[in-house]
Amino acid sequence: MKKLSFILALMMAALCIFSAVPAMADEKTVITYWTNDRHDMEYLNKMIEKFNAENTDNIEIQMTVITDEYENQILLAYQGGTAPDIVGQSVNLKNFTDYGMLVSLSDYIAADEEYQKVNEPYTHAFEGLNAIGDDIYWVSIGMRSGVRIEYNKALLEKSGYTAIPATLDEYIEMAKTMTAAGNGEYYGIGFTSSSPFERQLEMMAQVSGIYYYDYVNGKFDFSGYKPILEKGRELVAAAYPDQQGVDNMRALFQTGNFALWGNASQEAGVFTQQLPITEFEWGVAPVPSLTGEIKGALQTTLSKGFLMMSSCENKDAAWKVIKFFQSEEFIKGYLENGYCLPITSYMDQRIDKTKIGRLADFSLLEYESVYPAVPTINLIGDDYRTTLWNAIMGYVEIDAAIEDLNTRYNQAYDEDILSGSVKRLVIADFDPLHPAAGTATYLDK
Amino acid sequence: MIKAKRAPKKRGMKEGGGIAATLMLAPSVIFLAVCSFYPFMWIFRYICYNYNGFRATYTGVRNFTRMLSDTTFWNSVGTTFEYAALKLVFIIPLALLMAVLLNQKLRGSSFFRGVYFMPTVIATSISGMIFTFIFATGNGILNGLLQNLGLIGKPIGWLTDQKVVMYAVTILSVWAGFGNYMLYFVTGMTSIPEDVYESAKIDGANGVQTFFKITLPMLSPVLKVVLMLAITGAFKDYEAIMVLTNGGPGNRSMVMFLYIYKLIFATQAGTQAQIGYGALLSLVAAVIVGAVTIIYQLVSKKLDDVV
Repeated sequence: MKKLSFILALMMAALCIFSAVPAMADEKTVITYWTNDRHDMEYLNKMIEKFNAENTDNIEIQMTVITDEYENQILLAYQGGTAPDIVGQSVNLKNFTDYGMLVSLSDYIAADEEYQKVNEPYTHAFEGLNAIGDDIYWVSIGMRSGVRIEYNKALLEKSGYTAIPATLDEYIEMAKTMTAAGNGEYYGIGFTSSSPFERQLEMMAQVSGIYYYDYVNGKFDFSGYKPILEKGRELVAAAYPDQQGVDNMRALFQTGNFALWGNASQEAGVFTQQLPITEFEWGVAPVPSLTGEIKGALQTTLSKGFLMMSSCENKDAAWKVIKFFQSEEFIKGYLENGYCLPITSYMDQRIDKTKIGRLADFSLLEYESVYPAVPTINLIGDDYRTTLWNAIMGYVEIDAAIEDLNTRYNQAYDEDILSGSVKRLVIADFDPLHPAAGTATYLDK
Repeated sequence: MIKAKRAPKKRGMKEGGGIAATLMLAPSVIFLAVCSFYPFMWIFRYICYNYNGFRATYTGVRNFTRMLSDTTFWNSVGTTFEYAALKLVFIIPLALLMAVLLNQKLRGSSFFRGVYFMPTVIATSISGMIFTFIFATGNGILNGLLQNLGLIGKPIGWLTDQKVVMYAVTILSVWAGFGNYMLYFVTGMTSIPEDVYESAKIDGANGVQTFFKITLPMLSPVLKVVLMLAITGAFKDYEAIMVLTNGGPGNRSMVMFLYIYKLIFATQAGTQAQIGYGALLSLVAAVIVGAVTIIYQLVSKKLDDVV
């Protein structure tokens, strides 16, 4: 009887072991990834499917696209213990790190030479944007260009122009001439109602060496914008008589209602796929500056990156997924599909540029750069872009608008520093032509 | 009298009615506490804080002093009153007029009742988006129509001219809301006995006299409710305005709840989500709406006494 019991127990144990083995083999390590990017979903799905089928580490990526309230949804999930393992880059880095939600990738990066070769993380670490001090939280696989002027060649030629001039005065004159020639049929220039200041005039100010944050002294300063606002009024007077949403204005540009339009590299896809321009040739040119001389860098945006959440239980597996997303094969396909421009010189040499179409016209300029993140503050009233545009539109006086912004921004900044919710950012060796090159220090007062 | 009221309560408690009543009330009370009282207390909790959803920093009375000097907020309060007045002036008479017309039991009145009510069930964001196309200056349907009819010489900047944007916003809100109030009025009119109208007819009253002497007085309880709903609704409107104008141009159509929304959700460049300050402004806005409602109720009570 004893013997029988022993044999039965042995059989049961063997059964358990053998039944468990295939189950363990099938059990995959699931890495969840949330993003708010929709434009590249098709490519991401294809590559994730490939990774899930081919990877030998038994890892499965599950991607979720969150379109609304992305940051809030991540926060809620984190607080509720259901946060994803990896999130896309559209989050406020400071808030997320202050709250302990992110893992620094610095150690993983330091130990991975292949990753360093493809992604050049130390060259592309930007204070407050993807890195804080020595901690790198994400590395971008590409860039969105700064603003360019997209122009209708046929309308320019009608008024005797062939290229976009280098100075703002000449640019205004050109817009006025075309508006007059159009006689109500078409106009020289068009502005959208969605952040209109940002899409042309703010960038013209940047390349003229005018910026809203004085990095050297660690304070906001809008005084330099006065000449830009004065010239902006002239430009608006020559513009299409309506400021509609971005897509509406794109459609009006596409149908030849105005000749000059300002926006970044996403327009390459818009005017070839979403709203293809077939009736006329369109060109792309750098934004003009006040004097024609380039005195400051044109702001670019980091395009796509992957951050690891501190709540991730399989950090090594999550790193393998990030490595896959930032592998040469993945980035090459991503860039050649025209989703963004290359950020690293390594990838720039590896991609077939004939595949990126009109995106090639938006290739990064020598004076294009990422600016260090300006501290986000508790501001009352309108932000600077709205206020400065209101001044251009004549809803407020230019001097009053500048004084109001200097007062409100610095007051809010000082009070936030006093309450401890933010620190003062100072870059003593700040160079407007190389804004990312300086050394950032954070002061308590 | 007092004894008669207390007696059944005691009897009920003795018979276990108190426990039954408590159990029956419990779901509602818990629901009310969780969904109404708790969020309300939560608002109070943060009015002395800078809270961005991640971290709360105690700032004492700073939010109160900021509010006093926040000209954008106080201007938005003024704009809200202007918007509410414009909306009410048009929406109530229009809803009443349409209700009277559709109550005539003419052929097709049910169809038109449905047509006029339809905007109420269309998502506010969609109707706001549709009206941006209608009100567009250069290629808008409304300007095209007015120009073809020869009513205007050059296009009107419905959404870009500070002088006319409030009319554009009002047109949208009246279009979106009058069908709802019309339905209340129609329902109220159907409850007026038919024989009253017959008596009036026998007495030789014409249509106008019947409306002012019979319909309107007998509709007054419904009218009072509709007015109160319209007033509170108008003060809280912001969704369609956000899509249509986003408070512009130059804050000309910035109503107070739109401004609060922008603060709380940090829709502006380089700014934090200001949940604490937004909570304070919400309380002030609630007090303003509450005060207006109380004033309306006092006035309507006085009018009752007079009538």
